[in-house]
Amino acid sequence: MSSSVLQRIASGDSAAVRECIDQYGPLVWSIARRFSRTPSDAEDATQEIFLDIWRSASRFDASQGSDKVFIAMIARRRLIDRLRKTSAEPPMDPVEVLETVAWADPGTASETSIEAEQAARALAELRPEQRQVLELGLLHGLSQSEIAARLSMPLGTVKSFMRRGLIKVREFMNVDAEGVLSEG
Amino acid sequence: MSDTRPQGQPDEAMVDLLIKQVTEGLSPAEQRALDVMDSELASAYLRDLERAAAAVTLAGSTGEAPLSAALSARIAQQAAQHFASASHVADLSEARTAAAEKARVHGSPAPGRAKRFGGYGWLAAAACLVLAIFGWERSPPPVPPVAVVTPAPVIVPPARPAPPTAAEERATLLAKTDSLKIPLGATKDPAAAGVTGDVVWDPVTQRGFLHFAGLAPNDPAMHQYQIWIFDAGRDKRYPVDGGVFDVPANSSEVVIPIRASLMVRKPAAFAVTLEKPGGVVVSGREHVVALGATS
Repeated sequence: MSSSVLQRIASGDSAAVRECIDQYGPLVWSIARRFSRTPSDAEDATQEIFLDIWRSASRFDASQGSDKVFIAMIARRRLIDRLRKTSAEPPMDPVEVLETVAWADPGTASETSIEAEQAARALAELRPEQRQVLELGLLHGLSQSEIAARLSMPLGTVKSFMRRGLIKVREFMNVDAEGVLSEG
Repeated sequence: MSDTRPQGQPDEAMVDLLIKQVTEGLSPAEQRALDVMDSELASAYLRDLERAAAAVTLAGSTGEAPLSAALSARIAQQAAQHFASASHVADLSEARTAAAEKARVHGSPAPGRAKRFGGYGWLAAAACLVLAIFGWERSPPPVPPVAVVTPAPVIVPPARPAPPTAAEERATLLAKTDSLKIPLGATKDPAAAGVTGDVVWDPVTQRGFLHFAGLAPNDPAMHQYQIWIFDAGRDKRYPVDGGVFDVPANSSEVVIPIRASLMVRKPAAFAVTLEKPGGVVVSGREHVVALGATS
């Protein structure tokens, strides 16, 4: 069985570093861009995320998920940390236009990763307004209060949608994992 | 995959905090509330929620844009520096443990070295990669015809400068126009008798140093000193943790770097307390040994 790129980095394979940048750079950049106010902020964030990836590669456990989901987790942690550090800045303009997200089709998302396929299947079962809350919170980095203001929705409803949505995705991922195990 | 999950389900309050942590981060008060909950259960559930949030992020990350060549080159360069540094540290310990072996087998390269991040070779390879990327992006200007023959450069591995000491870093910080210098006064605590000192703090880089003379040595197995920063923008009951430190026996003066756990927007005061080993999340303030205010 071939090692993942993160496992190769952890074992000291220098070629894997370049491979990781080429393979996952566009993903990290696209996540960073959505969470950042300016391209310059997104560039700084992308560099910080890759530094975190180099530092964390040895902690990657292939039995817990793919390279891709591990890298997305690291990216999200760093970006949330950056958002908290800049929370003194004025919040985003409530009418600011955010790039619309094209969700992966549940039927083809497995080309991206098995986890994206599971999430896409879970998202397909949510109501559009629930999906919108997840989109603004998880893809654009808006706080629950900002989402409530933007959608003119009570904060309690936003919290409830976020909670149910994430729990549903989690259930799909755990159910799938258990299914794979029982098949094996 | 072996399932080592803790038994039980998190309650609503824990789930709310964990979801907030995964989506937007926690305030210090929320973090403290989470810290007193079942840590094993919280960390297992947090891992699941982080995976779920990452999976949703992947599902919404269709049509990714490529990295610019310049950014890609900067990341490669940063990786080179990171692994050269890591390799240097590894090389030092490896060199010590392998010294006897090398003496026995002269000239034999250590197995597997070619595949490891060789410090300078990897650095040089990455530098070439950076040059190649920039060279590819921007055509070099035409080379004028010259008849001067220059000798091939001798490549000498760069000498690794010794890292600056805390005292040197403090002096550098002190020279910055933005930095603050705040005198620290002793309190009536027995450990504070005869203490003098100051704090140098740079609000821009969020770095700072404590400088003390006369602070009593501590036994790290029993107690440690802990630094606190009171931020005018935060609740003063919960100052920002600035890290723990020890004062060795027979040290007349110490310079301690401050490691603020959170961003300090407007430092109002600095304090040092004596706490249990490893420090505390919220100090009972039984032993305040030094205190200094900005105004």
